[in-house]
Amino acid sequence: MIRTRRGRSVFKAYLFLAPFLVLFVFVVVYPIIFGVRLSLYGQRGARMWYVGFSNYRTILGDPRFWEAFKIPLFLLLVQVPLMIFLAILIAFVYERMPRGRAAFYRFIHYLPYTIPAIVAGIVWSYIFSDSMSPLRPLLDLLGFVGVRILNREHVPLVLLVIIFWEFTGYTAFVVFSALLAVPREYAEQAQIDGATFWQTAFFIKLPLVRGVITMLFIFNAIGALQVFNEPWMLGALVVLPPNYTPAMYIYNSAFAYGRFTYATAMGLVLACITFLISLYVLRMASRQLLARGW
Amino acid sequence: MKQVILSLLAVFLVVSVAFAADDIYPEYKGEPVTLTMWAWTSNEDYSIREFEKVYPNIKVQWENFGVHYTKAQTAIAAGEGLPDVLMIEYTFAPEFMELGAFVPINQWLPEEKFVKLFGEPALNWCALDGKIYGTPQDSGAIALFYRKDIFEKYGLTVPQTWTEFAEQARKLRQADPNLNFATVPLGWALWWIGQIWEAGGKVFDYKDGKWYIDFTNPVAEKVFNFWGELIDEGTIKIEQWWSPDWYNSLNVGKTAAVIIGCWFAEWLRYNAPESEGLWRVTIPPQWDPANPHNGMIGGSGFYVTTHSKNPEAAAIFVMWLNSHPESLKCLHKYSNLPVMVSTRYAEVLDEVAGPDKFFGGQNIVETLWEAHKLVDTAYVALPIQTNVDQALGLLLQDYVDGKIKKFADILPMWEEAVVKAMKEFGYDNVVVGELP
Repeated sequence: MIRTRRGRSVFKAYLFLAPFLVLFVFVVVYPIIFGVRLSLYGQRGARMWYVGFSNYRTILGDPRFWEAFKIPLFLLLVQVPLMIFLAILIAFVYERMPRGRAAFYRFIHYLPYTIPAIVAGIVWSYIFSDSMSPLRPLLDLLGFVGVRILNREHVPLVLLVIIFWEFTGYTAFVVFSALLAVPREYAEQAQIDGATFWQTAFFIKLPLVRGVITMLFIFNAIGALQVFNEPWMLGALVVLPPNYTPAMYIYNSAFAYGRFTYATAMGLVLACITFLISLYVLRMASRQLLARGW
Repeated sequence: MKQVILSLLAVFLVVSVAFAADDIYPEYKGEPVTLTMWAWTSNEDYSIREFEKVYPNIKVQWENFGVHYTKAQTAIAAGEGLPDVLMIEYTFAPEFMELGAFVPINQWLPEEKFVKLFGEPALNWCALDGKIYGTPQDSGAIALFYRKDIFEKYGLTVPQTWTEFAEQARKLRQADPNLNFATVPLGWALWWIGQIWEAGGKVFDYKDGKWYIDFTNPVAEKVFNFWGELIDEGTIKIEQWWSPDWYNSLNVGKTAAVIIGCWFAEWLRYNAPESEGLWRVTIPPQWDPANPHNGMIGGSGFYVTTHSKNPEAAAIFVMWLNSHPESLKCLHKYSNLPVMVSTRYAEVLDEVAGPDKFFGGQNIVETLWEAHKLVDTAYVALPIQTNVDQALGLLLQDYVDGKIKKFADILPMWEEAVVKAMKEFGYDNVVVGELP
C-alpha cells in the first residue's frame, strides 16, 4: 500500500522507468557484475578456479595488451580531431548552401553510416585488392606496377580512409543539427558588425555548440579505443597480429584461445581506460567553458 | 576350372565381407533418443535418414552454423551447450581434446575396430592417450589441380617430382610473367605442414604424455629451402588465399596449378564455374618417385562431446555415419566430399567414381583415392593450433613486407613462436628439438 502522495509519484516514476531499468539491469549492470566475478577466476576449458587479482596482474605485465593501444592512440590523436574538424567544415558548408541542395548532400553523406560495417568491408576489400582494385590502373600509370596496395604498414592509413568514409557524414549531420539551434540573431548581429561568414562560423556559432562537439569527441574517443570491425575486415587481405587493437586481442583471447576469464578482465580494464579518457575530455571541456565564463 | 575356383572365391569373399559388415555396428538397446550434431558440410541429412532407418530409436538433429569453433569454445567454457556430436578439423581436434570437450567412446568402438574401419593414421586425428573420441569423415589428401589449357598453351608438362615442378614454374614465369604457375598461401599453417607431411616429415607430435616440437629437422628444412628458393627468386608468389584476388585468379586462369587437399575439387566446381572443363587432377609431385608419399591439408572428424547425455548412441552414430557404405555413398553424392577416410570407401568406389564433366571427363575420385592411399604416416597436432597458425601468418606477412629477407629463415622463427606459445598456455611437458 502506498499511502503518501510522494510515495505514489515515486512509484509512478519507477513504473515509467521500468522498461529501461529492466533492460539496463539485465543487459548492462548484471553482465558487468558477472564479468567482475569471472575476471577473478583462472580457466581452461570448463575448469575454473579462483585466482583473485592474478588476471589483472598478468594484464599489467602483458606487453601484447599494451602494444594493442598503438592503433587506438593513433586514431585518437589523428583520426578523431581531423574528422571532427572536417565535419564542422562540412556542416558550415551545408548552412551556406541552398536548402534543397544541402538536404541532398546531407543524405548522400549520411548514407555510408547506414551500411553495416561488414558489408562495407567486403566492398573495401575489393577496392584494396591487388588485381581488381579500381585504383590499380591509376597506380600502374604512376609507375607502381606490381606494387602491393595493402601491406601491414599501410593499414593505419587505410583504416583512416574507411573510418572517415563511414562517420564523417554522420558527424557533420550532428554538428549541423546543433547549429540549427543557434539563434539566428547572433550571426546576423556579427555580420552587421562586419564579420565574414567563416568568422561568424568559427567565433560566434562554433563556441555555442561546444557541448555537442565535446560529446562527439567522447563518442569518437570511445569508438577509437574499441575499434574492431574495420581492422577485422582488413584481416582477410593482410595478416594482422591477433592483438592489433585491444578489442581484437580480447576477442581472440576469448574465442580463439578459449581464455574467457582473462579476456573478461582485459575487457574491464579497457572499459576503465575508456571511462577515464571520457572523463578527462569532459573535464577539460567544462574547465575551458568555466574559464571563458560560460 | 581356374575360373570357377576364382569366381567361387570371389563369391566367398563377398559373402564373408557382407557377414563381417553386419556385426561391425553394435545394436542400440537404450531408450529412444534424439542426438544433436553441429556440422558445416552440406546435406548431411541424407546420411542421417539412412541411419535412422537402421536405428529407429536414434534420431539425429543436424544444425549447421558454418565453422562453429567460437561457439564451441564458449559452450566448453560455460560447461553446457555442446551438441552430442561435434565436427572439428583434424588439426584442431587435439586442442578440443585438451580442453575436455570430448568423451572416450572406446567401449563401443575399440581401437582394433577403429583401425579396421578407418586405418591406423586416423588414430592420430581421433584419439589421444589411447582414448578414441570420434571418427574421421573426409580426407584432405594433397592433390595437384592444374589447368590443362594453360599447360598446353605454354608447353608445360605435369610435374612428377618437385624438381620438375620447379622447372615448370620457372618456365612459365619466363614465358609470361603475368601468370603464376602456382602460389603459396600467406599463412595457413595447415598447408605448409601439409607440404612437410607430403615429404614424409612432421614438425611436432605427441607420445606418452609429452609434446614434441622440432621444426628444424632435415625434412622440414628441405621443404622450406625448396619453396624458399622459388619464392626468394620471384618464381612463386605468396598470396592471401581465399581473398577476392585469389578467387579471381583461379576463375580467370591467372594461376596454372593449385596444390591443396582433395576437398578442393568441390570448392572449384562451385567457385570457379567459368573454368569448367579446363581443370585436371593428379597425385602431387614427389621427392622420391620410387617411394611415393602423401600428406593432408584439412579434413574433419566427428567427435562425441562431454555434454552428450547419451554417448552410446552418439558413438554408434559417428561410427555408422563415417564408415557405412550407405552413408559414404550419400556423403559423396550429396555432401560433395570426393574421398572419405574410411577403409570401407573402397567398397563403394566403383559405384561413386566416374567421368566428371567439370574436370573434362576425368575420373577424379579414382585419382584422389590413389592420393589418399599414399597418406600412410600421421602425427598429432599441437593443442594450440590457432597460435601455430597465427605465428606463421605474421612471419609470412613480415617476409612479404620485406622485414625478413630470406624465406627459409622463417622456419626457426616459427618454432620459437610456437614453443613460446606452448609455455604461455602452461604446458611443461614439451620436448623441443626432437620427435618421437
